[in-house]
Amino acid sequence: MITVALPKGRTLGATLDRFARAGLAPEEDFAQTRRLIVPARGGAASFVLLKDPDVPLYVERGAADVGVCGLDHVLESGADLLIPLDLGFGACRLSLAAPQGSPLVQGWKNGEGGAELGRSLRVATKYPRLSARAFARRGVPVDVVRLSGSVELAAVAGLADAIVDLVETGRTLEQNGLVVVDDLLQVSARLVVNRASYRLKLEELLPVLERLGGAP
Amino acid sequence: MDESFQEARKAPPEGTQDLLFEAARRLRRCEAALVRVFEAHGFAEVIPPAVETAEVFAEASAGGEAGALRVVDRRGRLLALRADFTAQVARIAATRLAGMSPLRLYYRGSVVRESAAESGVPRERLQAGCELVGEGEPAADAEMIALAAASLHALGIPAGDARIAVGTVGYFSALIDAAGASPRLARALSDAIDRKDLPSLTALCSELAPGKPRDALLMLAQPPRPQTEAVTLLSRALELSPAPAATAALQRLASALQVAKARSLGAELEVDLGEVRGLGYYTGIVFNLYAAGSPRPVGGGGRYDTLLGRFGDPRPAVGFSLDLDALVPLARPA
Repeated sequence: MITVALPKGRTLGATLDRFARAGLAPEEDFAQTRRLIVPARGGAASFVLLKDPDVPLYVERGAADVGVCGLDHVLESGADLLIPLDLGFGACRLSLAAPQGSPLVQGWKNGEGGAELGRSLRVATKYPRLSARAFARRGVPVDVVRLSGSVELAAVAGLADAIVDLVETGRTLEQNGLVVVDDLLQVSARLVVNRASYRLKLEELLPVLERLGGAP
Repeated sequence: MDESFQEARKAPPEGTQDLLFEAARRLRRCEAALVRVFEAHGFAEVIPPAVETAEVFAEASAGGEAGALRVVDRRGRLLALRADFTAQVARIAATRLAGMSPLRLYYRGSVVRESAAESGVPRERLQAGCELVGEGEPAADAEMIALAAASLHALGIPAGDARIAVGTVGYFSALIDAAGASPRLARALSDAIDRKDLPSLTALCSELAPGKPRDALLMLAQPPRPQTEAVTLLSRALELSPAPAATAALQRLASALQVAKARSLGAELEVDLGEVRGLGYYTGIVFNLYAAGSPRPVGGGGRYDTLLGRFGDPRPAVGFSLDLDALVPLARPA
């Protein structure tokens, strides 16, 4: 019996499709039921529905054996997990963006990163760990402001000099007068697996991994 | 008195705990069961100090893990709380017990390491473990794998609930040398293999020249194979082996497994050549122990043939430690 953690967010549909094709489907629609744990048809597995950033933590601690979430959440969580498959959907970029005309736009290309401000760069994001790491790699001091939403607003309203956020089409940035300075990470949905489950439930997991990894 | 100080001192520091009554009793019962097994196999106890010169733990940090908790003493020397028993036992073996071979030593107690925030891994971890010093043969590797299996058995963990994943860092390092990978690329490859991250591994391998080392590295993120398929897996790896050092590492692993299989008390041995993670000083075989009910390994070990040399007495050694925080809740010692 394996437990699968599903992400509530925008990739839920694609995730359910891929699991259904691999022969695992919840016996009830999560949108219709009030149950928190839904068995798979045939009973070989059960599903839990989680907020995307919680998926790595459930799987790391073994409350779920496998899960699906974006590489952004996997790396931001710092969870110690196996990440054997790239499921391909949910593709976007984690990007550093700043207002048009910001000295950062030119300065970053020259490897400066806000030195012209004469103080630490202030960056708003939902991804403090990944942001801090990207700046540390360049040796740029940074003041990370952790937000839980409307990250673009922080740069427009003057809370921060720049933002680090997911960019899909770039339309939202454009509408707010922001431009991408650099891409920090290519994101797509990954299958995450608990380290101990991978050993102890290998016989159950291997066929699922193989079917999920097959051509879509 | 400062109010925040009053609040802070009510709970033990983050990542540590008080063990009371039944919890304490359970730990001591498990320790006693382990001590009986260790002593029955000819191991003798050493009790190293709780603090050491910080330098002793320089190589002890595991992959991605922060190191020892350090303090500066009155004379300005940098000390560290015990972060790793093996490094301390190596120091003892290489100094006061220099030249005495073989040595069979065991220890129990706690180590303190700065763990990643929110990972659920405590800062102070209860351990017990064994080190076999002065024996470089695969038979010694097998002896320690078998003793690790016997330890789980003594804790009452059913053989069917236990798995031991065995690999060798010797093979990986030989492939890295043969492929001529830079240290930066080697670290990235090791990290991708450790996470079974086949997409990243494939991307990283495209930076290497085509050839046997690259093909062999790409195989390392494959799922582990049970003992029954070990022969097939190892012979495939041998075919791809680009260098004598890689071949030697595989042959050592094969002979250690052969001996260990007969003595592992039914615990399933799995070969996983992608089992490359361990403490920084491992040079040969590495293994991790898993038990149903624990979301992380319950122990692990490996061969460290260069560590004693750092203390002036170069001798081969192999050992393992058990994570009692993970094992005590699962254990049913006799």
